[in-house]
Amino acid sequence: MAGLKTIIALSFVLAIGFLLVILSSALWHNFYPLLVVATYVIAPLPNWICGRASNSDDFMESSGNGVLDFGRFLTGFFVVMGIALPALLAHCAIIETSAMVMSIIGGLLIYGTIISFTMFFQEEQEF
Amino acid sequence: MSSHRLFRFPKPQWLNSANTRTAGVYTAGALFSLGFYMFIDAATYSKSALNGSDPAVHITFVDWIPAICSALGMLVINSIDKSRLSADSFSYSGNGVAWKARLVLFLGFALMAGGLAGAVTVLVLKYVVPEYVFPTLWMGVANVIANALIMLSSVVLWVSQNMEDEYTYNLAL
Repeated sequence: MAGLKTIIALSFVLAIGFLLVILSSALWHNFYPLLVVATYVIAPLPNWICGRASNSDDFMESSGNGVLDFGRFLTGFFVVMGIALPALLAHCAIIETSAMVMSIIGGLLIYGTIISFTMFFQEEQEF
Repeated sequence: MSSHRLFRFPKPQWLNSANTRTAGVYTAGALFSLGFYMFIDAATYSKSALNGSDPAVHITFVDWIPAICSALGMLVINSIDKSRLSADSFSYSGNGVAWKARLVLFLGFALMAGGLAGAVTVLVLKYVVPEYVFPTLWMGVANVIANALIMLSSVVLWVSQNMEDEYTYNLAL
């Protein structure tokens, strides 16, 4: 049973993640690392949308599975994009290396929060 | 089904589970993203202030062609319904569906192999033959790595989708 403590802990982690990402942009007056936040907010969306789009009732029907797989493919794409994008910007000297490290850690914290939030509160809907 | 095995070692059991298939699809997306951003990195590097090649070398459309070919090939290969490849063995599907599927599949593989070969060609002709050193050479190397990663991603996606077919097949019987 995910209680109040879980919500408070998750919101703390989310706030720390946002703090790291915003700090990594604002310290150098260079707001490219904010793209990481957008990436990780978008990342779980294809799974949800494609999960709705494919009807899970008749799984013998092979047509619905392709949509589901496409959603998973896009999610994997976005998750790696959140790490690869700051690395790319740092490699091309658009942002500093320390900004890259801060934004990657912050992005992972934000994404971990989103994932664990859905994991904690999905089980309650089934009962 | 186990009596129709060809090889001495059986396929491990975890290879047939639905979780492995899901993980395979995620891994394919991750590999594609890695390859894609490897190439975008080379293109960004070409425009950034770090690119200090004396006769200025930039990523032009020539460098983009192999990646476009690879991505198109991946799209073609993975949009084919895999069960149609052996459709001629069933009686209800006539009109040579399997033949057409194999032709389209061949086109997809040719596009993908052409992409990888094109990347190596660009690396050799544009970067190795004029004897550029490493910061400039990276633009060609990244192109090859990107195309190889897209190919690997396609392989992983293909294998995990075939895995899914056998999984549902086991469930059906």
